[in-house]
Amino acid sequence: MTYFPEEVLEHVFDFLSSHRDRNAVSQVCKSWFRVERWSRHRVFIGNCYAISPERVIARFPRVRALTLKGKPHFADFSLVPHDWGGFVYPWIVAMAKSYPDLEELRLKRMVVSDESLELLSRSFPNFQSLVLVSCEGFSTDGLASIAANCRVLRELDLQENEVEDRRGHWLGCFPDSCTSLVSLNFACLKGEVNLGALERLVARCPNLRSLRLNRAVPLEALHKILTRAPQLVDIGIGSYVHESNSEAYVKLCNAVLNCKSVQSLSGFLEVAPCCLPAFYPICLNLTSLNLSYAPGIQGNELINLIRHCRKLQRLWILDYIGDKGLEVVASTCKELQELRVFPYDPYGGGNATVTEEGLVAISMGCPKLHSLLYFCRQMTNAALINVAKNCPNFTRFRLCILDPTKPDHVTLQPLDEGFGAIVQSCKGLRRLSLSGLLTDQVFLYIGMYAERLEMLSIAFAGESDKGMLYVLNGCKNLRKLEIRDSPFGDIALLTNVGKYETMRSLWMSSCDVTLGGCKALAKKMPRLNVEIINEKDQMMENSHDDGEKVEKMFVYRTLCGPRRDAPDFVWTL
Amino acid sequence: MGKITNSSSSSIDSSNHPSISSATSSLPQPKRDLSTDLRLGLSISTSQPDDSSSNSREQPSDWPSLKPLLRCTIAEKGNNRQHPTLFVKVYMEGIPIGRKLDLFAHNNYDSLVRTLSQMFRTTILCNDHVLTYEDKEGDWMMVGDVPWEMFLTTVKRLKITRANQC
Repeated sequence: MTYFPEEVLEHVFDFLSSHRDRNAVSQVCKSWFRVERWSRHRVFIGNCYAISPERVIARFPRVRALTLKGKPHFADFSLVPHDWGGFVYPWIVAMAKSYPDLEELRLKRMVVSDESLELLSRSFPNFQSLVLVSCEGFSTDGLASIAANCRVLRELDLQENEVEDRRGHWLGCFPDSCTSLVSLNFACLKGEVNLGALERLVARCPNLRSLRLNRAVPLEALHKILTRAPQLVDIGIGSYVHESNSEAYVKLCNAVLNCKSVQSLSGFLEVAPCCLPAFYPICLNLTSLNLSYAPGIQGNELINLIRHCRKLQRLWILDYIGDKGLEVVASTCKELQELRVFPYDPYGGGNATVTEEGLVAISMGCPKLHSLLYFCRQMTNAALINVAKNCPNFTRFRLCILDPTKPDHVTLQPLDEGFGAIVQSCKGLRRLSLSGLLTDQVFLYIGMYAERLEMLSIAFAGESDKGMLYVLNGCKNLRKLEIRDSPFGDIALLTNVGKYETMRSLWMSSCDVTLGGCKALAKKMPRLNVEIINEKDQMMENSHDDGEKVEKMFVYRTLCGPRRDAPDFVWTL
Repeated sequence: MGKITNSSSSSIDSSNHPSISSATSSLPQPKRDLSTDLRLGLSISTSQPDDSSSNSREQPSDWPSLKPLLRCTIAEKGNNRQHPTLFVKVYMEGIPIGRKLDLFAHNNYDSLVRTLSQMFRTTILCNDHVLTYEDKEGDWMMVGDVPWEMFLTTVKRLKITRANQC
């Protein structure tokens, strides 16, 4: 049924940028499938073990940009052992043979070796963009290969990776002919960098828009860099400490005045007081401010800075801003869309932090808010109900009460009603993280109302298997479910097994599922990998009975069967 | 009404960080009731680690849900709070013994004047007194003309003088 020649179809498909749209059109008929697969240039793989590189290459022969994700989300919180998996090397080997035109690679929570980076740098002459988020396994030697060999590199973006810093001169490995950089982010590196090489690199890249420095770049170097790159749109300050009466500070003020295009500011990894006013001139145009790595800034300075930021859309801060500070945010930042408040002193006794009052103030003052991550020590149902009423547009709502089973601090009731109000009011909610004292009731609400929910994080919540079942039976768009320390067992796991094939993955740790339950799941659903992760006892296969509770379980759909690179402590049933 | 879920506790993963010494990682950690620990602050140590990775020895590294980089940054805050100071000499005319004042402890001129008033038990900028400072170039200038932050970069010392002798 082809009314159009394939060239026309391909041209039409070019307008489809979303993966889901492309997936949908590829299922219409055989000829659409064929045209779509030859014209798909960007592929997103949410779980690198769901499919093999060879099959991806066979299906999509002309890929130019690949996104791969490895470890499950709870790996961010040290719940997944380092050697669990997620190795990118086999993917790069396969792509080196079949994707000569590869331009972009984006990896999240994967293990990336220096060998992989070296191979990457030599295999793709048109390679332009490397983004590594929460990855590990490589050193600055790997970065040196990228710098040296990727002739048309535009983007090198390292976000929150664990990088072994060999203090080599990787920055100096960018050849003099490299003038194409648009984005360079090495804020997560811990070691020294060659400041002269950095300055020269910045000077010869006129298209540089985004530059995020690490802690080793001092104030004195900063003003030189800003002077060379007044066109920057996104700046990550490294170290921001100066001697008193220093000329460097005055020069910096002038350099900052020259940077008229800056919209995004982050870093301040080391800060001395009284320095922030240098940035007041650019605050007026700032849309994104991330001070979550700057514990050295005082509360007052922070508030004074924020008073200048009327156009802010994204704000990441530490909780010493306090409720009063959040009130200032609420009255100043009317365009705010995303707020993250991290705990400055998570283990301390509770110095000035934020409470439910700050959250309510924000919800009243910032009508465009749709994404929230909020760490606090106390919450009430009334506050959550109020927030739900004020902000029905939440797409991401993540609340982390530091005491994981704390009830409403006024009524001492569980927080079921509060979260219930959130899911009922926010019809577009896609991601939700729960905390505080919660019974099965909150899951009933979630199953009933959270129709668009795709990712749910549960910790220390619920009373019985019913809770988990409400969610599995109710949330039709659920893709990722991660649960820790909650009383869900085999009945919850096994009642709706078909659901797991509609999801990317399920993580359960310190729950009540048993080995027998997991075995039953694996037997019923051969297209799922049911992984048991047990670092302490690697002889699990021989010496344990089915009644024993499983410490960590990770279940995901896959077309490839059990993976062959699993370490000893991972047992795929 | 829900019950406090004391039965659900989390085990502490001791082997989840590569740089922890092997001695620690071979000992199985007992299951703990994290919520109690957090309330009582019992097992929580606030001592600063030598390097950021040894944090997980003393504090549960899987709660609260913080990424490792942020967790380290916050843990190191005690080490890195440098609190630079800018102490300058302050003399009041007619009084041979001067005082010293940390200008970094103040945010603006008002705060400075208030502190000086307390120090010298007099109202400055009224009643014949004038507050002046010596700048980097050796000139004596009136305090208050330039923005506070710029003042901080050039001030070397302060003097409170009588108006009729300026």
